[in-house]
Amino acid sequence: MSTFSIIGKRIPKPDAIPKATGQIIYGHDVKVPRMLYGKILRSPLPHARILHIDTSRAERLSGVKAVITAKDLPPRRFGYGRDRTPLKGDKVRRCGDEVAAVAAIDEDIAEEALELIRVEYDPLPAVFDPQAALRPDAPLIHEDRESNLFRHQEYVHGEPDRALEEADVVVEDEFDLGYVQPAPLETSFCLAAFDASGKLTVWSTTQIPFLLQKDLSEALGIPGRDIRVIQTAIGGSFGRGLDMYSFEPICVWLARKAGRPVRLAFTRQEEFAVSEARQSMRIWARAGAMRDGRLWVREAKVLLDNGAYVSWGTVTTLVLMETIGSLYRVPHARVVYDSVYTNNPITGAVRGFGNPQGTFVVEVQMDRLAEAIGMDPLEFRLRNANRPFEETPQGIKITTCGLTECLEEAARRIGWSEKRAAPSRRGAIARGVGIAATMNVGGGARIYRSDGCGCIVKVDDFGRVTVLTGATEIGQGSDVVVVQIVAEELGIRPEEITIVNDDTAVTPWDVGVHASRTTFIAGNAALRAARQVKAQILETAEELLGASAAELELRDGYVRIREAPEQRIPFDKVVRARHFRQGGQVIIGHGWYDPHNEMLGPDGKGNISATYGFGAQAVEVEVDVETGKVRPLRVVSAHDVGRAINPMYVEGQIEGGTVMGLGYALSEHLQVHEGRVLNLTPFDYRMPTIMDAPPIETVIIETDDPEGPFGAKGVGEMGTNPTAAAVANAIYNAIGVRINSLPITPEKVLRALKERGS
Amino acid sequence: MRFFEYYAPKTLDEAIQLLVRHGEGAYPLAGGTDLVTKARYGHLRPRVIVNLKRIPGLNDIAPEEDGGLRLGALVTLAEIARSLLMGERYPLLAQTARKMGSVLIRNLATVGGNLCNAAPSADMAPPLIALGAEAVIVGPRGERRVRLEKFFHGPGQTELRHGELLTAIRLPPPRPRTRGVYLKHIYRQAMDIAIVGVAVLLQFDEQEAIAEDARIVLGAVAPTPLRVPEAESVLIGAPLTEDRRLEAARRAARAARPIDDTYSSAWYRREMVGVLTRRALEHLVSHSPER
Amino acid sequence: MKYPLTLKVNGETYRLEVKPHRSLLEVLRDELDLTGTNDGCRTGNCGACTVLVDGAPIPSCLMLALDAEGHEITTIEALSAGGELHPLQRAFVQRGAIQCGYCTPGMILSAYALLQENPRPTEAEVRRALVGNLCRCTGYVKIIEAVLAAAEEMASADVGSR
Repeated sequence: MSTFSIIGKRIPKPDAIPKATGQIIYGHDVKVPRMLYGKILRSPLPHARILHIDTSRAERLSGVKAVITAKDLPPRRFGYGRDRTPLKGDKVRRCGDEVAAVAAIDEDIAEEALELIRVEYDPLPAVFDPQAALRPDAPLIHEDRESNLFRHQEYVHGEPDRALEEADVVVEDEFDLGYVQPAPLETSFCLAAFDASGKLTVWSTTQIPFLLQKDLSEALGIPGRDIRVIQTAIGGSFGRGLDMYSFEPICVWLARKAGRPVRLAFTRQEEFAVSEARQSMRIWARAGAMRDGRLWVREAKVLLDNGAYVSWGTVTTLVLMETIGSLYRVPHARVVYDSVYTNNPITGAVRGFGNPQGTFVVEVQMDRLAEAIGMDPLEFRLRNANRPFEETPQGIKITTCGLTECLEEAARRIGWSEKRAAPSRRGAIARGVGIAATMNVGGGARIYRSDGCGCIVKVDDFGRVTVLTGATEIGQGSDVVVVQIVAEELGIRPEEITIVNDDTAVTPWDVGVHASRTTFIAGNAALRAARQVKAQILETAEELLGASAAELELRDGYVRIREAPEQRIPFDKVVRARHFRQGGQVIIGHGWYDPHNEMLGPDGKGNISATYGFGAQAVEVEVDVETGKVRPLRVVSAHDVGRAINPMYVEGQIEGGTVMGLGYALSEHLQVHEGRVLNLTPFDYRMPTIMDAPPIETVIIETDDPEGPFGAKGVGEMGTNPTAAAVANAIYNAIGVRINSLPITPEKVLRALKERGS
Repeated sequence: MRFFEYYAPKTLDEAIQLLVRHGEGAYPLAGGTDLVTKARYGHLRPRVIVNLKRIPGLNDIAPEEDGGLRLGALVTLAEIARSLLMGERYPLLAQTARKMGSVLIRNLATVGGNLCNAAPSADMAPPLIALGAEAVIVGPRGERRVRLEKFFHGPGQTELRHGELLTAIRLPPPRPRTRGVYLKHIYRQAMDIAIVGVAVLLQFDEQEAIAEDARIVLGAVAPTPLRVPEAESVLIGAPLTEDRRLEAARRAARAARPIDDTYSSAWYRREMVGVLTRRALEHLVSHSPER
Repeated sequence: MKYPLTLKVNGETYRLEVKPHRSLLEVLRDELDLTGTNDGCRTGNCGACTVLVDGAPIPSCLMLALDAEGHEITTIEALSAGGELHPLQRAFVQRGAIQCGYCTPGMILSAYALLQENPRPTEAEVRRALVGNLCRCTGYVKIIEAVLAAAEEMASADVGSR
């Protein structure tokens, strides 16, 4: 494996130095001449008819250049459910719904203008409980629908009913999983500018530049070919950016009406109040096993609260289905879900995309089953672990699979065998360990008709290589991964590569950064493009060195004869030799990679990803039994990533994901009361600080995936998925109390201890 | 944020005149951690801001002749945490300051701001009350002093009338054989607003066996910081046995008048008053590590 | 209405006219184009806007620009002013402590202030010093490593120069 010269190296991201010095340009930093500041007026009510909007006073305010309401916009709907317009004209369906917008010469005037807009509402009865929303007499949120049920789906494999009867033990639980926010440090941003010919440029914090082009086009009737999306450096995302949101077409329309560029940036309060949260879910679940240690059956009924509109986030149920149906070998399974409209905040995509919820259910119940049959929970997991190159009853074709190694390593390094058997107690402080695993798509996820990514690699006369990739960079390190792949293939140094990844007018198409897909998909596209470049280089080098391509290699900036490495020509010299001659050519390679994965059928079956990542986390916690406060002491996180193209950023994904998972487990909670978000600051939302992050030991398991670029699989979400379950299992180990609702706050722990009568 | 007039007077008289002249819409600015945030999000609409930071003397920590200390209202939490004088005479306050906010916030936020903001959870209030501090108030009619216990009238409400400023906290001389602790219960490991705060101060006899005096003050469990004499009285004049400590903790929990809010339920707060009071006493009696 | 303001930033003196309700953050970013100071929450909760005022780290969103008169302001741009990265910046870059980078300038300035006061901090001291600077990407692991590594490098460079 040491034959690699660049793959596997800890090379800093190309944008690390600009970020360390403050030179990088984020959306919030972009200024263009004559730029205006946009602001949105939002509904204070969760459900109401709009009777009248009077914008006249705002329009008269000096410095205001545009005021728009729904009647200014084309009557087009957008979104996954085609259920909303950017500005709401007839009624509002949630607190924070957009009713009007202004653009002014500065932020103060824009804010003042909002206060001058008068909106008359006729409040309607609202519904905040998804169960209640399904009752026939519930207020109907979308009048063109028959009920508030957006989608009902059932997934079955095997014979779950019979299996539940057959099983030696069956456990049953109800789970209540709260809302969390992606909460990246940079708030949502859009800057829209039309040029004199009517062409639109949008600077955006989106994760889906090419779909945003399409979505804006559909929402506003602007031809897609006239829309260019530029991604600035993005200050984190974690799923916030997977859809087009109302503020984006609103910003564009303000720019059109004002005839000047308009910038629209969320305040932190807006970010918490209206950006799309992870679905709160209520899940009722049963699982059964045989006394000999065979996992036998799982069943889950899921109630998913979409909020007032559905986003791509509603598709999280597919991921949840996959976790329940295929994490560990389970011969029988059923998942039934209802995704429901309520007057609550809209939910969307957040790192893990249904998997943190599904993994919580599966992994808590794995512990419960192990206990019920009197088996060590690690042993129970190992017995039932997925194996390499097997197909699950769901149609998931597992290729490489290091789940067993991950479980063993995580357990060994946390000190499982000593600690699990004898949870310690000193005074009020109890300690325990817990473990949980995860399976995550690692080779794309076909939820869209194309799951592809394009890449162009060109070389200039001086040997500088430019990589144009569709891969979106949100901090995770896709840039350095693509650079390392190209550098490895071409035998050059990463510093000799410039990456361009931020402009739909320049880069080839990509479906977006989601589903832990970028290393795998964009990496394969880059590899294909680099191979074309390599072939062109070799073709010319054959002439120059008088050797066949098969005898040549690209290494250390030279093309050389493998068996006689002193016979070599500098890379750039080959490029010029090919270019500057009669009939010469410049060097350009292009690659397109769309994996051979499948969209799930209506039965929920199919091979959604070209490969799957696996991992296991072991957590040691300390519980104060008098206050209920839980402190994670240490996490070991072992992950099968195929191959670590850059171990430093693989660790970064896992460490960051783990702390996000700890936030989900213990502190983060978007508190929503009657549709209104109550905690609007990072303080009140309780995002983990540096004091909340325990030491994390990351273990990288390499399984060399046959389809992955240099064997790599995706890793972006895996760190987040199992953490909450591992923590809950560790708490149980420490104090014998199960908390099935997230976050596990000190108050919940103390209440449970009191109820049990400790 | 909206426009306001801004003044940075160089004397206290000038500041008071400005506040009086501009009436209700005028706000004094100290550290700004609270005022600037509230103004930014429209919770307050100041028409005039009077920055107090240019007035000499307001940010001094000055020893007084009687052995006490004058703590200027504009002294930052960072300065309190760092001050050698404070660490020597009133380690309880230095310790409390270190439990507040982050380094960033402590470099701006002032003790006066923490008190005048009058949040029920204000961390500085319980230990200062336990230490017998007095608020020094200066207004158009001169200076007056109020025991800090009487300074708080309700959430956001204080003894200050318009035009008056809290200029300093006066601390009586430290008493011998006195130990204090402030325990703050939060959900995360740092940064949070107190769910419950408990300050306990004990003055021991020569043998360190019996408390001659005891002060217990609770934060975040009533509209104002709450002193609990009925819990204090259990501890005075008899050995500090486990039974007495438990009884004091029970009485403190009973005295608390907490509410449900987004941070915690009333039930949980009351439970925590009991736990924290007991732990504070254990810590002071046995020198056990603070939890 | 605007007020005159003399602001000393990174060793330079600027004479400005600013609205009184402008925060130091807004003036640094909008008037002086020092966009390395990031706008994260405007409530002092996140630390993205950290700058040094007379060497002490503060959230610049909570300080009125007019209030900064007479003080020395240091922003991230000053740390590599000589064209060379500060050891902290180098350590953050090389050890993967930077992902999205939005917290990075504030994080580095808080760490810089710590190392000025305490050149050889323990891990616990690093954590206490950085508690006001949130990072959503890294899980903080590599940030702590980077600060400790930079401290070591700076300390040994100090010894070497003697």
